[in-house]
Amino acid sequence: MAEGDPLIRFDWLLARLDMLAMRTLEHVWLTVLAVGIGFAISFALALVIRRQRRTFSPITAGAAVVYTIPSLALFAILVPITGRTLLSAVIALVGYTLFILVRNIVAALDGVPAEVRESATAMGYSSWARLWRIELPLALPVIVAGLRIATVTTIGLVTVAALIGIGGLGFLIENGLRQFFPTLYIAGAVLSVALAVLADALFVVLQRLATPWARARAAT
Amino acid sequence: MSELIGWLLDPANWSGRDAIPVRLAEHVLLSGGALAIGLALALPLALYIGHTGRGAFVAINLANLGRAVPSYALLVILFGVFATSARDPLVFTNGPTLLAMVALAVPPIVTNAYTGLRDVDRDVVEAARGVGMGGWQVLRRVELPLAMPVIMAGLRIATVQVIATAALGAIIGGGGLGRYIIQGIARFDNPRLVAGALMIALLAIGADLLLGWLQRRLAVGSRAGEPGEPHGLPISLPTESRRA
Amino acid sequence: MPTSVYGALVQTAATVEFRNVTKRYDGRSKVRAEGETPGAVNDLSLIVPAGKVCVLVGPSGCGKTTSLKMVNRLIEPTSGQILIDGQDVAAEDPVALRRRIGYVIQQVGLFPHQTIADNVATVPRLLGWPGQRIAARTDELLALVGLEPDAYRGRYPAQLSGGERQRVGVARALAADPPLLLMDEPFGAVDPIVRERLQDELLRLQEQLAKTILFVTHDVDEAIKMGDLMAVMAAGGALAQVGTPAEVLAQPASEFVTRFVGADRGLKRLSLRRVRDLELLPATAARPGDDAAEAGQRAASDEVGYLLLVDAQDRPIGWLRARDIPLDGPLSADAAVPMSPLLAEHATLKDALSMMLAADVMAGIVVDPAGRALGLLTVEQIARTLRDG
Repeated sequence: MAEGDPLIRFDWLLARLDMLAMRTLEHVWLTVLAVGIGFAISFALALVIRRQRRTFSPITAGAAVVYTIPSLALFAILVPITGRTLLSAVIALVGYTLFILVRNIVAALDGVPAEVRESATAMGYSSWARLWRIELPLALPVIVAGLRIATVTTIGLVTVAALIGIGGLGFLIENGLRQFFPTLYIAGAVLSVALAVLADALFVVLQRLATPWARARAAT
Repeated sequence: MSELIGWLLDPANWSGRDAIPVRLAEHVLLSGGALAIGLALALPLALYIGHTGRGAFVAINLANLGRAVPSYALLVILFGVFATSARDPLVFTNGPTLLAMVALAVPPIVTNAYTGLRDVDRDVVEAARGVGMGGWQVLRRVELPLAMPVIMAGLRIATVQVIATAALGAIIGGGGLGRYIIQGIARFDNPRLVAGALMIALLAIGADLLLGWLQRRLAVGSRAGEPGEPHGLPISLPTESRRA
Repeated sequence: MPTSVYGALVQTAATVEFRNVTKRYDGRSKVRAEGETPGAVNDLSLIVPAGKVCVLVGPSGCGKTTSLKMVNRLIEPTSGQILIDGQDVAAEDPVALRRRIGYVIQQVGLFPHQTIADNVATVPRLLGWPGQRIAARTDELLALVGLEPDAYRGRYPAQLSGGERQRVGVARALAADPPLLLMDEPFGAVDPIVRERLQDELLRLQEQLAKTILFVTHDVDEAIKMGDLMAVMAAGGALAQVGTPAEVLAQPASEFVTRFVGADRGLKRLSLRRVRDLELLPATAARPGDDAAEAGQRAASDEVGYLLLVDAQDRPIGWLRARDIPLDGPLSADAAVPMSPLLAEHATLKDALSMMLAADVMAGIVVDPAGRALGLLTVEQIARTLRDG
């Protein structure tokens, strides 16, 4: 970077909008992948826990240990095992979401009032039908809140994952730092913040959409 | 695995600027310093709004903000700002890191202190006031002890967060155990990489366990941990998300 | 046989039989999230005839709710059998079984995320009824429980009051026209005024639908009011007595039952009889404008010593004391003394007695729904029914 250059060269950025878009989309894709897989696994684990309460402690403790490990360290530890690949990144990212989502889903399902569950069973709903038609819709607001945290967290983590070479906005940061090019690394940083904030806002909207019956009650 | 042990035993790694004790000390000092500053800033604020109940708006939005901003991004932005103004490399590498760490430590402390104090049974507070305790005494003798588990949980989250951010500081050229990881990546030196990672992981887990133990010791009455926590297990409650 | 709006033949009410049903809970107490330890049941044998309301009543922990829940297999018995129309419920798939049994609980348990219409339509949907039939049936049921279909169909449970929600609960239970209805303290969560109204409505519905209903309550008065049959259970889950409310009140089978029904069981029995069950005393009556002398003569020979003034439609106006009757000329209503209480024919003896005591009189005038005087009822008469049983 030459003396006298402005900190951020917007012209440089404007000339490369498609590259920025590509990295952003890469970032989004990685986030969606990680949260998606994380949610699926967490959901399965939550169902196991609901069947056998005793598994709650060990499962949560395990997830907690992973969660406590700083992301940089976790990504690094995986490198000699699964290489500098998408797999390593996904394993770590999914691992982080588990702590948030397993507890979240269990709490969400536990939050369904007992009399509603009892009524559903007594009406003649099978366990699966009851889960799908009664418990999940009622648990949805809490689950969406959990997904909000998980998604925003993951967006931040994906930026770090770039260090093991999987792209995304972290790639811009890494490159920018390496080349001492503030425009690039600040652009990368700002975009990832913007993405996180946007995702957060999106989920706030989703949360509101998930409960039409609460809005009806508020209206009366 | 054997390579890892080899690396750890290699005396070359125990002397000089890049020595294990040096990096460890850097990491711990940086983290400790950030926490101290963070506590100094956050705690008075948190205690005030928690005790009086005013400023809920602040507490909630601080939590949201702290959660949404990726720490790595914050670090880099601050670096950009510092790098253009500061000349001394020590400043513009550790400066942003310290600042980012403080910034990220404050939200969990504030939010948890606020929630913890607010959740204290109102009847107990009223009883205390009824006995003739002034505001400050109520805070010190009643609210704080009862809110301690939740406040400690916030401190645990902040600590782990700070250690993680310190690790990231190495990316912008700062010190600490993160250096080993960065070097390991650059040089394709896996033992170095893993050693650094393991040390950071152990440091984080260790700090968490230690604070968890402290949390249980400080808990008043029969509570073995904070509400909602599996009985007796040292897990911090994520009222905050983890940032990078 | 009752039929629905579609004219289809509706299932007849079912008989329920408990045969030596026992439920034991092991040392580990199964405390559920709802907060109550379920009671054990000890060798319960009971037959509930079709179309009757059988009330399981007893103190908390006596196993009445547990017994109820074993019928639709929310709880499985440790031993013994439960038969519906002669068929062991254990032999059937629980899910299919529950779709044939209506279930109403105290907290109602409506699905908060569904509209009232969707809630009511739950079982018909599970059974795969066609959409039109479901919609018609839903409206029919809402009207049946006293909720205007157009107004309530699209609302959500949170927008309804407690009483309205329980009405929906009953509608939901009746949706697929089950032959058996299980009700667990259904009116326990509403205030006494609403409770009375709901009880009356259920009785009215039952008159129309004639279902077999198993009703659990801890309230003896509710049991007496609602039940054709009363099964009193004691702590530990044993059956203390079974019989009609009149039988149980008149002849309690044990010390426990005597204590449980209450020291005022005599008065409680009064609530089982109605004014129209008794023979009323004729009142000496006259209309304003009648010949006073003639009326005065008749009043003199009357034991009560009063003359009842009625209007042209035989509706009571007031009493005239014998000595206030003029010796000649037409009668007028001016000197009439205000009314003793007007008692409805269908009022319970208990309510009639209450009214008379409150008005501090020895007799009340019984009127028909149009207000016409039918005769007199005295406190003495009521006391006599208590003595004579």
